[in-house]
Amino acid sequence: MTSSADHKTHTLSCRMRPEPAALERLCQVARIRGFRIEEMQVRTDADGLAIDMVLSGQRSIDTLRRQIEKLHTVCSLRGPEQALTGVRQSA
Amino acid sequence: MNAAQHILDALQRHQIDTVFGYPGGCIMPLYDALVAEDVGVEHVLCRHEQACALAADGYARASGRTGVCMATSGPGATNLITGVANAHRDSIPMLVITGQVPSGLIGTDAFQETDVLGMTLGIVKHSYLVTEAPEIPAILEEALQLAGSGRPGPVWIDIPKDILLTDIGEPKAPAPTTATPLPDPTAEIDEALAMLREANMPLLYSGGGVSLAHAESAFRRFAKASRLPNVVTLKGIGNPGYDNADQMGMLGLHGSKAANMAVDTCDLLLVVGARLDDRATGAVATFAPNAKVIHIDTDAAELGKLRATDLAIRGELRDILDSMADALIRQPLTIENWRQQCATWRKTQGFQTAINEDPHAPISGPEFMRQLTDIAPRDAIVACDVGQHQMWVAQYCRFDHPRNHLSSGGLGTMGFGLPAAIGAQFAFPDRPVINVTGDGSFMMNAQELATIRRHKLPIKLIIMDNQCLGMVRQQQELFYENRESQIDLDDNPDFLALARAFDIPTLAIQRTDQVRRGIQTILAYDGPMLLHVRIDRSENVWPIVKPGASNRDMLDESQRPTSTSAKNKESAA
Ligand SMILES: Cc1ncc(C[n+]2csc(CCOP(=O)(O)OP(=O)(O)O)c2C)c(N)n1
Repeated sequence: MTSSADHKTHTLSCRMRPEPAALERLCQVARIRGFRIEEMQVRTDADGLAIDMVLSGQRSIDTLRRQIEKLHTVCSLRGPEQALTGVRQSA
Repeated sequence: MNAAQHILDALQRHQIDTVFGYPGGCIMPLYDALVAEDVGVEHVLCRHEQACALAADGYARASGRTGVCMATSGPGATNLITGVANAHRDSIPMLVITGQVPSGLIGTDAFQETDVLGMTLGIVKHSYLVTEAPEIPAILEEALQLAGSGRPGPVWIDIPKDILLTDIGEPKAPAPTTATPLPDPTAEIDEALAMLREANMPLLYSGGGVSLAHAESAFRRFAKASRLPNVVTLKGIGNPGYDNADQMGMLGLHGSKAANMAVDTCDLLLVVGARLDDRATGAVATFAPNAKVIHIDTDAAELGKLRATDLAIRGELRDILDSMADALIRQPLTIENWRQQCATWRKTQGFQTAINEDPHAPISGPEFMRQLTDIAPRDAIVACDVGQHQMWVAQYCRFDHPRNHLSSGGLGTMGFGLPAAIGAQFAFPDRPVINVTGDGSFMMNAQELATIRRHKLPIKLIIMDNQCLGMVRQQQELFYENRESQIDLDDNPDFLALARAFDIPTLAIQRTDQVRRGIQTILAYDGPMLLHVRIDRSENVWPIVKPGASNRDMLDESQRPTSTSAKNKESAA
């Protein structure tokens, strides 16, 4: 990735069915599509997996959203609430 | 009934009559189930798992039905990967079934254990590692539904051996799965029509999504009603059919100048079932610089991915194109000047081959393809490999239907052609199937001659032998100052002797005056036959766009830096 100046951070909240590779799928889509996972929180409850993520990258978050939504194990996706523009919070 | 028997039962219920596979330890229970007399599924033993996957791909590509392949754990599964990636990149519906080591041994580095689920996540539409035997019927149902619906793709089911052996009772009618309906695009359709009417130079750009969405007839109806000049991607070849008078051919890297000029000039680009891939667009920043873009696709993630759209329409291609055609039949577009302009470009800047009057001249790739397409019947299926020969097929062969042209687009997999032809021949036993390959690509799955022989498949094999990895040689010539590196194949095996070892008769040609009879002979032969075509090592594919450049800056043969062969000049300009 190039200079951090044009990176934006975004938060996404995602619910997934609790199948074995669910998290790997999610992380892989984010990585391949040009985003870096800055923070990630996972809880398991009666409805499956609840994941909150902070992502950073230069590409369109809307496109990433649609790419994540294509995962069969994703039940719902919320966000992004754009956290910070211009600079990345963490290195 | 054990889980393995349930799998065969589900395949039959879904009218899947052919599977391509290769047995081994962990999938033996499924092979044991195949032995039963009442099994209505034909298993085709290819000679390499990669070929199993590519044959399943060819079967699906040619027929529009889901292709199925199966293999054992470990090396069987890893050998499948290239073929499955090929299907994934071209959105081909496929079901992949692999055996896995018994549940208790997963994660212990057991014999022939690999993390198939983990290593294939990026090349599947979805995948499963089955942990509970009773879930098998529901998983199969869902997998088949997913593979063939929406934007199709491969779905992989990895099944531990103990689960295949578990008795799960008699089959029950599975709960029907329903796809979520797509949003109603009526408002967007009206907007698209308004934009079309407003445009002076609208252009239709279509890709592989048209046939994947089974929207071929609707597309033709729309193309005819709109009379829009149109360009196609590699996978969209055949969309407009033989008779569409407004087609400009393939755009992009090796597209026609006519097509690229039309894109460069148009003021509205209507993209249908295409993903604006870099081979088609060239430098995307300067692609269609004057155009508003309307993008129609089933997959929301493609809309606006590489080029901002002025209007994105997500929905069923068939319905959208049909209602747009209805509206344009009621009130046609008035774009006569633009159509004339495109027709002129097509005449002066389209693909043309120069007929070489010298009967002893070496055979030119483009001229060979032109004759092949003239002689071959209209319903012939041509499966290509990857390289220069693939581009000559795309440029000079005409196709009446996109499913008649099998070409590895997204992945560009050398070795695709022969197994894909096998798959297509199983899907259509009575249609002519031709594999056009290169001397490099052919050797990547040459073992499949054994499958042709075993099943007496009447596939015609055409090797365009330039004694080198031609496409790589061409790029080294043009973009690496002619420094040739590892492209020489002048010690190729005797391809004729190789074919004869599999009881496949052969014919070899090397002069222009032998082309016609050569093609006629193999097509008339009742059975498989190999035509060996010796061509000039120095022949290039023209025109070409330099990597990273704009499509408008296409190079043609007149710009060749080291003009070595002037003899075969074709005016691709
Ligand atoms: C599996 C694979 N390996 C490498 C390549 C890179 N590649 C693209 S075209 C080509 C040369 C193909 O040679 P040949 O089949 O003889 O066809 P030609 O270009 O000479 O017509 C190569 C090596 C590829 N596309 N696929």
